This record gives sequence, C-alpha cells and structure tokens, in this order.
Amino acid sequence: MATAVLGQDERPLVAEASLDFLVVEMVDLMHRSPTDTEMDKEAAYFKLENLGYQLGMAMVERITKDRPRFLDNLDVVKFICKDFWIALFKKQIDNLKTNHRGVYVLTDNNFRWFSRMSGDGAGAEISRQAFAHLAFPCGLIRGALGNLGVTTVVIGEVSTIPQCTFQIKIAKP
Amino acid sequence: MPFDVVCIAVIGKMNNPLYIKNCSSTYQDLKCHYIAHTSIDLVEERISTTKHTDQYLGLLYAMEELAVFGYITNTRVKFIIVTSLQDVAIKDQEMKNLFRKIHNSYVSLVSNPFYNPDSHKPIVSANFERAMAEVTAT
Repeated sequence: MATAVLGQDERPLVAEASLDFLVVEMVDLMHRSPTDTEMDKEAAYFKLENLGYQLGMAMVERITKDRPRFLDNLDVVKFICKDFWIALFKKQIDNLKTNHRGVYVLTDNNFRWFSRMSGDGAGAEISRQAFAHLAFPCGLIRGALGNLGVTTVVIGEVSTIPQCTFQIKIAKP
Repeated sequence: MPFDVVCIAVIGKMNNPLYIKNCSSTYQDLKCHYIAHTSIDLVEERISTTKHTDQYLGLLYAMEELAVFGYITNTRVKFIIVTSLQDVAIKDQEMKNLFRKIHNSYVSLVSNPFYNPDSHKPIVSANFERAMAEVTAT
C-alpha cells in the first residue's frame, strides 16, 4: 500500500517486500487453521474478506478527505478504479465494464499481489490457489464502497495470474 | 477567532448522533441536541438541491442568537458547528478551517483499529476529545 496519498510530507516509508510477504502470509495463516471441510475454507475466506472490509472503510475515509462529493454510483466506482487503486497498488484498474444496471466488472491485467506469484501444475489449479488471495482485496473494495454509501457484493475471479477481475454488484436499495 | 463556538456535533451516516459537545455555559445540553437534530434535515435538503460538490455546506440557518454551519464528508458523516451571532461577519474560510480540523481528527479516529465505525455508538476517545477542545479554544 503506497503511502504517497496517505501521509503528505512526513510520510512514513514502507518496505514493499515486507508488505508483500505480510499480505501473502496473512492469507496463509488464515488457511493454516484446519480447513478440512468446505465450511472451514469459507470461514477463512470470510475472515479475510472482513479484514479487508475494515481496512477499506478506514482508508476511504482518509483518501476522500480533500475530494469533492460524489454525484452518482458510477462516480464512486471510477474513484475506486483510479484513486483508490493508486493508493493501494500505485496503478489504475486497466478496464472497467458496466451494464449500467448496477454491475461493474473491474479488470486488473497485472494485479500487484499476483505479480510475483507462480505455480506449477495446471492453470486451473493455480487459479484455485490464487483465488484464496482475492478475499482480502474483495473486502477492500466492498469496505470502500460501503463507506461511500454504496452497498455491494464483490466477487473476485482469476483466470491466469497475474490477471484478475472483480465483479461488483450493487445491492438494490 | 472573532466568534464563539457554542456547540460541536458529529452525526453519523445513518443520522445517528456520534458526538455532541456543549461548549457554552449559557445553553443547556438539550438545546445542542435539538439543534443537531434540526440541522440533519437542512443538510439533507442542501445536498439534494445543489449541484455544487463542496464538502462545506456553509450557513445552514440562523436561529435566535445562534448560527448553525454544516459540513458533510464523502462518507456521509455530518459535522455541525453552532456559533453565537455577533456583529462581525463570520468568514467562510475560518469556518472551513475549523471543519477541516474536526475532519482530520475524525479521520484519525476511524483509522484506529479499535474503533468500529459500524457500531453506531457515540465516540469515546481521549484524542478526539482533546482535538475538539482545541477547536473550541482557538
């Protein structure tokens, strides 16, 4: 998570490598608790998602501090694609698609937390393993949108790393 | 500062009271609650009717010898400052600076992992309390 937006001048520096390790280890830790049944796996996913949610909430409070108010949902989603993603990963979302009925698909062609991952085995197996690492960023997006007044469901998807997509469904009020 | 702050209120995104501080000795606490409640409607009206997207909403209304100012964050948290009316005009810039200070300390509060923004409970924080005292003291 880049500090460029967070602190202004006396910004604390973050070692990127340690941060990446921390994020990877966090996912691993959650899944190291017994995950024999499908239910345990879901619980681990849910815990990570919730962590992301909390962080997303707090972060958005900070980065929208000097921003004019949002006019509509598309405005908010655009903010996620640009400012929020830059604050997190120093890059923008590469592609945003919408059906104009409350579904947005965000594609990141080089997701930072996947960019240093590799695996052996079939593509499907790698995608399955990488999917566990999407719980946290999904929560981040949900938390950010939630705090901005947009209730959503966010689902992540990996086809081939390091590319991934996030599907945002806005809950009907 | 050429004016006195009578009351500071922080209202959550669900219009739940988060923090109300009465800084005067002349008014009762109830009066502050009453003003905070009234201003919610005015804030709502202000953001639905105007196209301009500044977080600072300006003077909401004046009542008897009190003036009420509003501010809304992107996350729908409202800050209300009540001042006593005086002969000198209150400059928007001064007001904005006050709101900015409140906003900054609110952001620090939310960034505290021990604070749960979904709890809708009134703010209990020594740091926030201290920051508010500073705002009213200047």
